[in-house]
Amino acid sequence: MRAVTATMRAAASEARANPGAFWSQLAAMALNDIVWVIFWALFFNRVGTLRGWDQSRVLLLFACLTTAGGIVLGVLSNARRVGELAMNGGIDAALALPVPPLPYLLVRRIDAVNLGDLVFGFGLFALSGSPSVERTLIYVCGSLAGAAVLAGFLITVGSLTFFLRRSEAGELGFHAIILLASYPVDIFAGVTKVMLYTAVPAAFVAAVPANLIEDFNLRDALVLGGVAAGFAAMAWSVFSLGLRRYTSTALWTRA
Amino acid sequence: MNARWPWVSVSSAARRVARDRGQLLFAAGFYVVVASVLAALWRAATEVNGGTVAGYSGLQLTWYVVAAEAVTIALNTRLIEVIGDDIASGAVAAELLRPAPVLGVRVCTELGRCLPRLGVCVAIGAVLATTTAGAPPDATALALAAPAVVLAVFCNLIAQHAFAGIAFWLRDARSMWFLYHKLVFVLGGMLLPLQVMPSWLHTVAAWLPFAAMAYVPARLASGHVEPQLLLVQLWWLGVMWWAARAVFNAGERRLQVVGG
Amino acid sequence: MTIEVRSLTKVFEAGSRRNRRRIEAVHDISLTVGAGERVAYIGPNGAGKSTSIKMLTGVLHPTSGTANVLGMVPWQQRRALTRRIGALFGQRSQLWFELTPRETFRMLGAIFDLEPAAERERVGVLGELLDAADLFDTPVRSLSLGQRMRCELAACLLHEPSILFLDEPTIGLDLLAKQRFRELLVRLNEERGTTVFLTSHDVADIEHVAQRAVVINHGVVIYDAEVAAMRRTLLATKSVEVTLAEPSPPPEMDGVIVTANKDSSMSLVVDTTRCSIRDVLDHLLGRLSVTDISVTDPPLEQVIAEIYTVPRS
Repeated sequence: MRAVTATMRAAASEARANPGAFWSQLAAMALNDIVWVIFWALFFNRVGTLRGWDQSRVLLLFACLTTAGGIVLGVLSNARRVGELAMNGGIDAALALPVPPLPYLLVRRIDAVNLGDLVFGFGLFALSGSPSVERTLIYVCGSLAGAAVLAGFLITVGSLTFFLRRSEAGELGFHAIILLASYPVDIFAGVTKVMLYTAVPAAFVAAVPANLIEDFNLRDALVLGGVAAGFAAMAWSVFSLGLRRYTSTALWTRA
Repeated sequence: MNARWPWVSVSSAARRVARDRGQLLFAAGFYVVVASVLAALWRAATEVNGGTVAGYSGLQLTWYVVAAEAVTIALNTRLIEVIGDDIASGAVAAELLRPAPVLGVRVCTELGRCLPRLGVCVAIGAVLATTTAGAPPDATALALAAPAVVLAVFCNLIAQHAFAGIAFWLRDARSMWFLYHKLVFVLGGMLLPLQVMPSWLHTVAAWLPFAAMAYVPARLASGHVEPQLLLVQLWWLGVMWWAARAVFNAGERRLQVVGG
Repeated sequence: MTIEVRSLTKVFEAGSRRNRRRIEAVHDISLTVGAGERVAYIGPNGAGKSTSIKMLTGVLHPTSGTANVLGMVPWQQRRALTRRIGALFGQRSQLWFELTPRETFRMLGAIFDLEPAAERERVGVLGELLDAADLFDTPVRSLSLGQRMRCELAACLLHEPSILFLDEPTIGLDLLAKQRFRELLVRLNEERGTTVFLTSHDVADIEHVAQRAVVINHGVVIYDAEVAAMRRTLLATKSVEVTLAEPSPPPEMDGVIVTANKDSSMSLVVDTTRCSIRDVLDHLLGRLSVTDISVTDPPLEQVIAEIYTVPRS
């Protein structure tokens, strides 16, 4: 535990090493998120309600997404770089330390840009989520569960690089899940919708937490918790299996 | 001056990208996801709205989306950042030593890189739209969309060079690309047709250059025979080229004065 | 024995699925290293040095064979082992780029469960030992490569390891920094008894650091002997390049072979077992009008070529 806090403290001072860039990046991301709010405002202004989703529910979805995304891409920012690290030998340094490499790598780097998402997510929920004690509690737990699903998925697809020796699958997985999670899951039907609850679990990152804030039910909450635990466990095992095939760039430097 | 440089730049860059199958597959996969998501969103919207949204049917919106996404995904999303880094690192200063114009070679090379990706995206998009929604709504409009697609990409990447040129003064164009892309996404009509917007915003967007980069080819592909839109693109292409030239010329003078 | 390796082999699979190649980076290596030894593990680029050292530190899993480092199997007991060894990979920084070394040490101290007071004391000792105390408060990005490597060394000595593994630690350093780094390694070994195991493709690293040299080529150990013995056989020659003010006849000395003499430049190879390099220089400087002169070790490629021709001692 002391190792985790010490590493995170070091990561935080590293992120703040250039304060000018830190704040401008944070602001740029918040601005970027506002554009999405404008998009949804324009959309629902014309369309009204869409299969149970109206503007306020989509904004809740967006608050959950930016919060979960901010946690994973901002605080645990190496979650999306597992493929890159596996390719370019970035795991060596972690393996020289007496700690499990995956948690160390996750807390080792903070991205200021995506901390902007986190700040935006809090702000959006506070302004448009009509926060009560109960709703806030569900929002916090739901976003944490969403973050676990997202991190688990990103680490899993990133770890595929150990086996495929190419990082494109991981890159695509990252873009796909963020994009799919930004839209109300009910616009999809058939196979696509099934996929969003299984292989690319985008529905659990934001849509399910947002629905729970509006109408809580225990069954969905338990499913969300289970999926979060499942993806975290999967990430752990795929990464550990992949590490046995880690080549530390020996292949590329010998070309 | 050797007048062959534009063709050499375009074709050699195109060949390099076409050979990198991993990168093309990535662009194709990303495109499929984005186009499917937005097409699903708009089709769902037309269903709950009695068949049309802002005058577009589900079929038309599907073709709108596949065209609008193809022209934006064909471009390197981080182009502005890359140009900015090249300026800051002095790579551009080194290019000044070559006999061909810096901006011209860069734009042509980038166009060459885009074309294979654009081809892949357009082909996939056509298949995707035909299978999920139906045949293209209007053949004449589709024929007009073909040049519009290339013009849109061309216009977009020239404009990105103009924007990235700010790095000659600021040494960091990182925050610029965020802003720029969001303008194309919304005001350029990539995420939503301009007609969906309230009329005042529609008017503003129609007068801005971003519409030439996504809305025009998408509007044509969705079956609207509006050939004057091609003139709009040509006009903005000219203006953006002039602006990019002015920025790079001023920037080069600055490099010569203060050093790279 | 501190390190015991038996039949260690690592095979990488490369290429696409259709066109898969097997690359045997390390082939059936066996060696033992005793406590307190200084061993140079040398070979040309791509010989399998890094792959070997990464298996010994638990970074890579071998394809077959066994290894035992301080009584542990590195790739199975990696975490326990990291507490007792230090590993410095020349190309991979343990220091954080934007932080000062001291800040990284504080974090590493927490990771290695050192008490804050003990960590501070240790940093003080290392600052003195490595002559680097004044560097510890500068952000790593502002350090020169030589300064950074000294701080990297401090980072991997923080937990007082009994073996130090170094992978190409001197690569990219200028001559002065290299010399200084080598002296530090020797001092560390002599004063603290730390076992030093370093890889290199620089012949000078053998001469100035190691007591024993293991030469690896194409994944196979081709030579393993005391450096003193090696000096008598493989490292017995020096190359001398001379630039002269005017063309002159070559010197005739026992143990000196003139390999080139054209216009005003002359190349000699000196067998130091038969003739001291000092005598050769005295002879040249005394008789000829020398404008420039340099003495160099034979390049590693030449040493390796000789290993294949000289029978093992």
